[in-house]
Amino acid sequence: MNDTSVPSPSEKHPEEHSGVSRRSLLTGAGALALGGGALAGLVGCEDTTTPVAAAGAGGGAGIMGDPTAGGPVDPAGIPLARVDYPVTLPLIGDPVKPGEPERGGVLRVYNYADYLNPAVLNAFGEENGVKVEVSTFETLDEAFSKLSTGGLEFDVIFTTTDQISRLVGRKLLQPLNYDLIPNLRKNVWDVLQSPYYDVGPRYTVPYVLFTTGIGWRNDLVSYDPAEPIWDALWDAERYRGKVQLLNDPREAIGAALMRAGITNLNTENPAQIEAAIRDLIKLNDDVRVKVAINGYETLPTGRIVLGEVWSGDVLSAAISYLPKDVPATALSYVYQEQGGPIANDMIGIAAAAQKPVMAHRFLNYLLDADVALENFVDFVGYQPPIRGIDPASLIKDEVIPPNLANALVTPEAFASANAFLGLTVTGQRLWDRGWQQFRAG
Amino acid sequence: MAPRWVWRLLSAPGLLFLAVFFLVAFYAVVAVGLGNVTTQFQPVPHWNPLDWNVGYLREALSNLAPGGQMWPVVVRTVLYIAVAMALTLLIGYPVAYYAARCAGRWSGLILALLVLPFWISYIMRLLAWTNLLASDGYASEALNALGVDRLFNTLGLMEGDDWLGGQPVTVIIALVYGYVPFFILPLYASLNRLDQRLIETSRDLGASAAETFRRVILPLSRPGIYAGMVLIALPMFGDYFTQDLMSGSPNTNMVGNIINGYVQGGPDKSLGAAMTMLLSAFLLIFMAFYLRSLRREQREAE
Repeated sequence: MNDTSVPSPSEKHPEEHSGVSRRSLLTGAGALALGGGALAGLVGCEDTTTPVAAAGAGGGAGIMGDPTAGGPVDPAGIPLARVDYPVTLPLIGDPVKPGEPERGGVLRVYNYADYLNPAVLNAFGEENGVKVEVSTFETLDEAFSKLSTGGLEFDVIFTTTDQISRLVGRKLLQPLNYDLIPNLRKNVWDVLQSPYYDVGPRYTVPYVLFTTGIGWRNDLVSYDPAEPIWDALWDAERYRGKVQLLNDPREAIGAALMRAGITNLNTENPAQIEAAIRDLIKLNDDVRVKVAINGYETLPTGRIVLGEVWSGDVLSAAISYLPKDVPATALSYVYQEQGGPIANDMIGIAAAAQKPVMAHRFLNYLLDADVALENFVDFVGYQPPIRGIDPASLIKDEVIPPNLANALVTPEAFASANAFLGLTVTGQRLWDRGWQQFRAG
Repeated sequence: MAPRWVWRLLSAPGLLFLAVFFLVAFYAVVAVGLGNVTTQFQPVPHWNPLDWNVGYLREALSNLAPGGQMWPVVVRTVLYIAVAMALTLLIGYPVAYYAARCAGRWSGLILALLVLPFWISYIMRLLAWTNLLASDGYASEALNALGVDRLFNTLGLMEGDDWLGGQPVTVIIALVYGYVPFFILPLYASLNRLDQRLIETSRDLGASAAETFRRVILPLSRPGIYAGMVLIALPMFGDYFTQDLMSGSPNTNMVGNIINGYVQGGPDKSLGAAMTMLLSAFLLIFMAFYLRSLRREQREAE
C-alpha cells in the first residue's frame, strides 16, 4: 500500500463520544438515501467505543467476554474468537419468553441471494400462517452497513463467523431462547453445539458448512489437483478472463496468503497483507480474474472454467445449475485439507425483530433434519451440519455425484478447521485498504 | 395570467423541498468527509464548519491525483465517459434530428419509443443483458457468429470472446445504452423549437443542405447538445452498477466503484465521503459550463 497514513484526529476531538445524537444521524440517513443512496452506509455512526463486553459479560465459560484478558478485540470491545480461542459473547438484552408465535403478516429475512429453498419458505409460511420475505445482500460488509443504519428492519439475519461479534457489539442481534429451538440439541453436530465463535451458544444457530477451494471444469481445463492448490489460480494464464476470484476481501486476500504458506488467516501483519495484494494484482494482470461470487452459476455454464469457489458452489452447481449438455461429472473441486478454511454460516434473530417467537420457530424449522435436507439437496447446495445428513450416504444414494465427495464437510474436518474470523479495526482497515488497492486495477 | 407573486408562492414549497433535500444530503456528505472517526474508525460527522478536519480530503486528493493509488481509475473513468459521450452524440443526434424535423406523423411514435425504456428500470435491463451477453447467451452467440468479437479483438478493443469478462468495450456500450435517451430528449426539444424559417432562409440564400446544417442548424442546436451532454455526464461519473454488472473486473473499475467500495465496505467511509466531495467539485466544472451556455442562449434569444 502506498499510503497507510491515518488522518490524525483533530486535537479538539481526540475521541468522540457524545457529540452526535441519534436523531441527527437519522436525519442524515434520510437525506443521504435521497442523495443517491451511495452513502447510505455512513449513518448509524453512533459511538461504539464503549466496550459492550465490559458491561455485561458475566457468566460465560472461561475467560471469554473479558476484554481485559488480552488478545485482539473487535470494535465493540468483544474478544475476537479464534478456533483455538472460544468466545462467550456478552448478553445484551433478554431472550424472548416462550409464547404464541406472531402469526399473520410478514417474517422478514436478510440473507445472501439463492441461499434458501423457496419451497421450504413456502411450506413454513403455510404451516405457520405467515409470509416469509427474503431480502438479499451481495457482501457481508454491505449487509452490516445497511443493518447498522437502522433503516432496515428484519426478524431473521443470516451471517458468518467474522461478523457475529460486531453484530452483537452494535446491538443488532438478540440473545436466543434455545428452549424454542429444540432441534439444535436434537439434530446438530456435536462440534457445533457450543461453537468457538458463540460459546453457549447465545445468539446463533449454525446454518450451513463450506470450505474454500478451487472448482474447475475437468472437461474444459487440464488441471492437476496434486500441485499446490492455490497456484492453480496464478497458473491459469491460458484461461484468462474465465477465472473467478471470490468477491470477498477475506477470501481473496486469504487465497494469496495461503499460497504464500501463511497459516494465520487472520493476520494483521502489514507486510504479509501488502505482499498478498501484490500477488493479487499480478494474478489479475496475468489471468484477468472475474471478481464474483456466483460460481455456482458460471462454472456449470462455462462462463468461468476455474476459480476460487466455496464448496457449496460446486454442489449447488451440480444440483441446480447444470445445463442439459453438461454432466455433473464435469465438475471438480479441491480444497486445502491442512489449514484451509472450513467455516459455517449461522442464523440469528434481529434485536428489533417484530416477530421474535415466530423467528425462533423458523430457526428451529431450518434445523429439522428433513427440512434441512430438502433445503440442501433440492436447492441451496450448501450442506447443513445435521446428524441425519451423512456425507457417505449422500454419495451412496447418488444425491451428490462421487466426484464431488470432497466438497462435503465431515465433523472431523470441521473440528480441525482454519477460518477467517473477526479482525481488530486496525486489521480490518489494513485488509480493506489493500482490497481497494487491488480493485483500482 | 396570474400575477407573478402567485407563481412565486406556488413554486415555493417545491423549491424548498428540492433545496432542503439536496443541501441536507450534500452537507451530510461534507460533514462526514471533513469529519472525524472514533478510535474504532466509525465516522463522526462534524456539522460545525469550525471543527472541520481536512485529513481525509487531503488523503483522497493524493489518492486521486496523478501518481496516486487511484489515478489509473481516474484516467480510466474519464476515458470511458469521453468515449461514451462521443458515441452518444453520434447515435443520439441523428435520432433526435429525425424525430424532431423529418419524422412527420411518426414523430410521436418515435418519441414514445424513446420513452419506452423507462418502463423498465435501467438495472433490470442491465440484468437482462447479463444473461443475453453471457457466453451461452443469445446476444453473445449472435455477435460472435457475426464475428464482432473477432473484429473487436483485431482492433484491440476486446480480449477473448467473453463479453462480460472485464471488457472495457462492454462497459462503454452499456453506458451509452443506459444514458442515450437522456441525451436525446433535451436535444429533441431544442431541435423541435428550431425556427423553420431560418433554415428556409439559409437555403434561399444559396447554402447547400450540408452548409445549412453546419452553419445554421448545428450552431442553433448547440445548447440542446450541451444540455444533453451535461445531463448524461453527471450521472455517468457516479455510476457504479453498470460496471458491476457488465464486468466486475478490477480492470474496468470506475471512480464510482471505488467510492462505493469505501462506503459499503470496511472502516474507511470518511475517505469515501471525501472522494465524493472531490468528484462533486470536479462535476461543478461541467455544471458551470452548462449554465454559462444556457445564459448565453437566453441572451441571444432576447
